Amino acid sequence: MSGSASEPDVVWLRLSPRSLIVRPTMDLLRLLPFLLGLLYLRSRGGSANYWGVGFALLAVVASIVRWLTTRYRITDERVYVRRGLLSQKVLSVSRDRVRTVDLSAHVLYRMLGLRRVSIGTGRNDRRDGESFRLDALTLADAEALRALLLAAPVVRFATSTAGGEPAAVDAAGIGPAGVRHARVRPAQLGPAGVWPEASAHFDAAAAVAGDTEIARLHPAWIRFAPLTLTGMVIIGVIFGFIVQFNDAAHIDVAAIGPVHSLGVEYAGVPLGLRILGGVLAVVFCIAVISTAGYVAVFWNFRLVRLGDGSLRQTRGLLSTRSTTIDARRLRGVEISEPLLLRAAGGARCIAITTGLRVGRGAERGGSLLLPPAPRSVARRVAADVMGITEQLCTGALVQHGPRARRRRYLRALASSALIIGVVALVCWAASGPAWIWLGSLVLLPLGAALAADRYRNLGHRLTEGRLVTCTGSLVRRRSILATEGIIGWRLHQSWFQRRQGLVTLTATSAAGRQHYAARDMPAAEALAVATAATGQLVRPFLAAGQDG
Amino acid sequence: MTPDGTADRLLPGLRTPSNQVSRRAVTYWTARAALNGLVVVAVEVVVVIAGGLAPGWWIAVALSAIIGAVHAAIMPHWRYRVHRWEVTDQALYTRSGWFSVQWRIAPISRIQTIDSHRSLGERIFGLANVTASTASAAGPVHIRGLDLSTADRLLDELAIATGQIPGDAT
Repeated sequence: MSGSASEPDVVWLRLSPRSLIVRPTMDLLRLLPFLLGLLYLRSRGGSANYWGVGFALLAVVASIVRWLTTRYRITDERVYVRRGLLSQKVLSVSRDRVRTVDLSAHVLYRMLGLRRVSIGTGRNDRRDGESFRLDALTLADAEALRALLLAAPVVRFATSTAGGEPAAVDAAGIGPAGVRHARVRPAQLGPAGVWPEASAHFDAAAAVAGDTEIARLHPAWIRFAPLTLTGMVIIGVIFGFIVQFNDAAHIDVAAIGPVHSLGVEYAGVPLGLRILGGVLAVVFCIAVISTAGYVAVFWNFRLVRLGDGSLRQTRGLLSTRSTTIDARRLRGVEISEPLLLRAAGGARCIAITTGLRVGRGAERGGSLLLPPAPRSVARRVAADVMGITEQLCTGALVQHGPRARRRRYLRALASSALIIGVVALVCWAASGPAWIWLGSLVLLPLGAALAADRYRNLGHRLTEGRLVTCTGSLVRRRSILATEGIIGWRLHQSWFQRRQGLVTLTATSAAGRQHYAARDMPAAEALAVATAATGQLVRPFLAAGQDG
Repeated sequence: MTPDGTADRLLPGLRTPSNQVSRRAVTYWTARAALNGLVVVAVEVVVVIAGGLAPGWWIAVALSAIIGAVHAAIMPHWRYRVHRWEVTDQALYTRSGWFSVQWRIAPISRIQTIDSHRSLGERIFGLANVTASTASAAGPVHIRGLDLSTADRLLDELAIATGQIPGDAT
């Protein structure tokens, strides 16, 4: 196959025409609070009645323009996305740089049989406006695109999770595990030959053994939902919205009948009970909302290893999401345990993979391998995904010694003392009551407890070709990174660390958090670990007599 | 390659990268530190005068002037002794910092882009820096305070070396 730069014979494809319905609807939904505000103004005799219509029209026109100007095409070598009306922009990426293909769908998308496709390329996802996102394709086109882009060397094509379009998919055989292998020819693509390799790959796929399920949501896991505190964020957003609406629309929420009478009754209760009741109400709301959120996001969660070794995660009650992680891009796993979750024996599991960055907005959920679940399950999944013994996910680590422990205490207590000092100073300057700064003394034992826990968790280990680092207390994270995934080292030593012979060793990586640090290691140990992990890289820079 | 060269006096297990940066960097860092110090002191003077603050505040101004002067006098020499770099056919090895010191080892095979940026100050003093970025967003490797000809040579060398290795460097 020749890879000429232009390849004029490959046609540019459009998004699904059905996305013309979705985009304006989504835009209008997003504008809903604003439109409601306008409606309200109008009811008070304002002249804003045409604005709402204007915005609705604008949304429709914008979406038509977007649909007309967005094209994509897949050649043998590259993926192109073209967009923009006045300033036309063509994004392109080499097909062998495609790391992940993520399909997601809101309820509306699902009703229309559409999927939003995000192509993770590792480099371009850093900048906004340069993402390879196709919003939206029909389910069949989206799945065919995913299969094509991740097709190397063979591709498996499983039955769709949300009801595909039989017209576009004609079955070519039933696999051993009851999985349908399909030859895909999206209606939009026309005759074969546009995507020459696709059909060949699907034929080859029929010979591969079935998918293996690694994990599936167990309803009992929902007990961990209230501990994730996602409800807190949502309550904050709702509260902020009410306050803003209150201000903007001059509605006094407190004056509405039922709210008002509730407020009056509440005021009659003694202060202690009022605080207790308030706290209980907030905790209850957080728990309920967190649980609802957990169910909505993780319902039907399934992690499957496909025949070609790649991992596919599907989930969602109303909006579905399905992410496929190419096995060649997987560099490690991370087991993370926020404090509350850890106290209840729960943990999450996240993939360390290139192309999906940890903790980055829309892509955040893509690298998740396991929602909050029992710790033993998280460890089993981590071990299974990486093909390592569970020992690496549970076993003891090399601790960093008494000097590292002293630093943990020193740092925690010094910051506590600083806060106490500031509080005391403010109390003294504003002649506030003494119990405030006396109360802040509780930070000292809390700081000490934090330091003790941080030290207990701090550790590293290098076995089976994986670098394991563990750190943190409020969120404890154990990262298991394959040494092939390490693309450089950073050794950092502050003046204070130098006096104690400690150094922070950081492995840099193109995957996940991009850097994985082992804090306050004894210097000799840090060099020994770096040398053992990537010998050829570090050995030339060791001092004489330090070899090996 | 056999390990040779002197042991790093800051981290004895490592050896010191072989090259120092340009001597002119000391002058540049001094000028920059002095300028920054002057700006801070000038702002403080304006605040004290315009705000009509008590004369006691002049002590604070004097104190920050002294700190700035000491910083400008000490930091550049200290930094000059720390900043070192080395390029082998396998890796880029740098040491930088002053109060806190950082060593970086980046394999040539994983370097994605090499560029050079010259600020106005660096141009005045005939200096340049070389930045090698890898596929990791953990931060590119900088070599700061090189003289212009060295930087150009290094850029060419690295460009040739990185161009020879296929793959996507992740």
